[in-house]
Amino acid sequence: MKTKWGKASIVLLVSVMVFILSACGGSNEGKETGKSTPGTAPGSGPDTSKFVKISYLVLGDKPKNGQFEKVLAEVNKFMKEKINAELEWKWIEWADWQTKYNLALASGEPIDLITIGTDWLDTWGNAQRGAFMNLDELLPKYAPETWKSIPEEDWKESRYNGKIVLIPENDYTQWVNHGFFYRGDWAKEAGLTEPIKDWEGIETYLQYIKDHKPGVIPWDAASGTQTWGGFIQSYTDQLELPISTGFLPVFTAKSYDEKFTVTSPVFEDVFVKYATMMKKWADQGFWREDALNNKNNNRDALKAGLSGLDQHHTQTFSGLRVEMDKLQPGSELQMFPFSRTRGTNLMELSITHGGTSVGAHSKNPERALMAYDLIRNNEEIYHLINYGIEGVQYEVKDGKRVQPEGFKDAEHGYYSDFWGGRVDKFEIPSANSWDQIEETLYAEYDKIKKPYVYGQFVFDKTPVEAELTAISQVTGELGPAIVLGKAGDPAQAVEEFRDKLKQAGYDKVLAELQKQLDAYKTQLGE
Amino acid sequence: MDDLIETRSVRTDFSGILVKIVGYVFIGLFSLCCLLPFLLVLGTSFTSEDAIKRFGFNFWPREFSAFSYKIVFENPDLIIGSYLVTMGITVVGTAVGLFLVAMTGYALQRPDFEYRNKISFFIYFTTLFTGGLVPFYLLVTQYLHLKDNYLAVLLPGLISPFLIIMMKSFVRSIPHAITESAKIDGAGDFTIFIKLILPMTTPALATIGLFIALGYWNEWYNSMLFLSPDMKYRPLQLFLYNVITSADFVRNSAAASNVELRDVPLESMKMATAIVATGPVILFYPFVQRYFIKGITVGAVKG
Repeated sequence: MKTKWGKASIVLLVSVMVFILSACGGSNEGKETGKSTPGTAPGSGPDTSKFVKISYLVLGDKPKNGQFEKVLAEVNKFMKEKINAELEWKWIEWADWQTKYNLALASGEPIDLITIGTDWLDTWGNAQRGAFMNLDELLPKYAPETWKSIPEEDWKESRYNGKIVLIPENDYTQWVNHGFFYRGDWAKEAGLTEPIKDWEGIETYLQYIKDHKPGVIPWDAASGTQTWGGFIQSYTDQLELPISTGFLPVFTAKSYDEKFTVTSPVFEDVFVKYATMMKKWADQGFWREDALNNKNNNRDALKAGLSGLDQHHTQTFSGLRVEMDKLQPGSELQMFPFSRTRGTNLMELSITHGGTSVGAHSKNPERALMAYDLIRNNEEIYHLINYGIEGVQYEVKDGKRVQPEGFKDAEHGYYSDFWGGRVDKFEIPSANSWDQIEETLYAEYDKIKKPYVYGQFVFDKTPVEAELTAISQVTGELGPAIVLGKAGDPAQAVEEFRDKLKQAGYDKVLAELQKQLDAYKTQLGE
Repeated sequence: MDDLIETRSVRTDFSGILVKIVGYVFIGLFSLCCLLPFLLVLGTSFTSEDAIKRFGFNFWPREFSAFSYKIVFENPDLIIGSYLVTMGITVVGTAVGLFLVAMTGYALQRPDFEYRNKISFFIYFTTLFTGGLVPFYLLVTQYLHLKDNYLAVLLPGLISPFLIIMMKSFVRSIPHAITESAKIDGAGDFTIFIKLILPMTTPALATIGLFIALGYWNEWYNSMLFLSPDMKYRPLQLFLYNVITSADFVRNSAAASNVELRDVPLESMKMATAIVATGPVILFYPFVQRYFIKGITVGAVKG
């Protein structure tokens, strides 16, 4: 599920969050209120006599309608009163954000707070370069509530060389595990009354559309479609590893129990099974003949009722379901998460996928942490930052966040792209996410989920750079045709794929990966 | 030149006509190759997104729609501002850059300038490697303190070794005798440069000016690095790039967002931005073109 998916899911995840305040409803209905603010009264706590400005670097495009400034002004009233400081939001726009993000950290500019993500913002790499401040001493004193609320095992995930360098977003539910989305109404017509739980079920469903829905492409798969990662998740216990091998994942960990043992799914029978199935799907005409060059947007086709299947993660599903209910009434969009087949293989999102660090050159780390503690633990400030002003940006109706009467996006739209410490307890579910997601999918996931175990593992690819590039080339060259069943005889195609991987230096990378995982295991003390 | 034209007019026989026919046909085809894609872009930019999805790109919009322009010009104030910024930077940058390049080029080829070769080599030498992105960024932001300053975009584009070398070799075609004769008449170096050299180098100036102007017009990378969103008006290319990237995100995020859903016409919008971005540049060419032909040095030195 890494590689192309990893990248795509990161990009999409990021995108999913751009114009939104919160993608998913919190899993805790009950809200804790009446939290006391941190003890920062003058005299009793830290010295806040000097007024300071605290910058917070976030990723995203700066909102242009002036609403953000108004909301921030409200926030700053609190900030001024409580800690004699003012927050400044600094935006790193999406245009070449990686370069700008890393430059900002490398330049030695005084950054107070900054969004981090170990899996997509190279946080460990930046930590290695000394970009972040060590927070061990500062946290208990200046962010006491945050310090107390995060359990020790989560702090463990936040350390680099034994020092805490980041505050994880550990208390926020996000599910970005992938699956197929299918239309409940058509599935019923096809005789699939139970929720689909395997690929054979999907096959039946697609075949029904092919036979009975003229004008609909069962699945208008576009070039770049990649489902191999999902197949692994459905039919094995193997875990994806944070290593990119281009189009297809070719290394996985054996299972959750043997999470430090590398294995090769493409050299196992499951890959032949997969290739055969995809060939069959292609031959049945489940997707276009020219799917490999198809640039259509399948999701748009689904919304238009012209495609019957989509493939993405739970968060996307949650919003898409609501949208589909509007656009295709009665479609009853369903999700078949790949983990459902065996009911064993599901890891949570890394708790350091989002988080906040203090820049190494910050001039006011104390006040920065105090500000952070307020954002994360003061419900009023939290809602302001994440949702805007109540009555202007949102209203709460029946426990759900809706847009007030007369709300115009251009005028009142608001987002802050704060992904550095959202917490479920303050979240108000949006009316735009499916209201049954919790009792259906989340409940299903909660039964089988396992914590993410590679949060601190960073594959150092320097020793095998050339081989990795070669492997990526092979997966990019032969992968797409196998995935879309256009590679001719599946067994032969798989054989050729394996040969080329071997030639590209597959075994060397495997050995190196195993070596580094062994080291990681020792580092974790397991 | 005169000789050439005469021989042509004399030999208007069959082969001459053939050459002309072939020439016209070839140039005609070539212009078509340049023009058609542009027309396709223009046509697509006015097509509704829906029609693009169904029929693909067309020269003539099947379903006319100016919606993408509406989105691009959603904030007319911002786009006009960025137009002005880009124009300002382009005009100032081209004028100053041209002046500097021309002066350097002229000085570097004067035979009575003793260290010309050493300095030329020094300038050429810098083209072989770069300092890298991080040092460049540090220099501009930490030492020159030009973050959020238009100078950060203006300065790096002013002078380029390539253009200096080009200028130098062009000025070399002006005989040094001209400089010497002006000297004898009592002109100072600067007067010679302004009054004699510059007028004689107009073709080169036009070419180099065009290079510099296009460079500034299309510039977005430095703006992206150094001009943060805290600046209200930023160069056009960056502005348009952001329009596209954010549209991309709106589309992808629409599914799960709180944002009012609207169908962002991404394909036609890309085309509309391309038109908006290239439009004025097209006007540059005919304007500058006449200078290519004018101001030829032939005849400057008689005998």
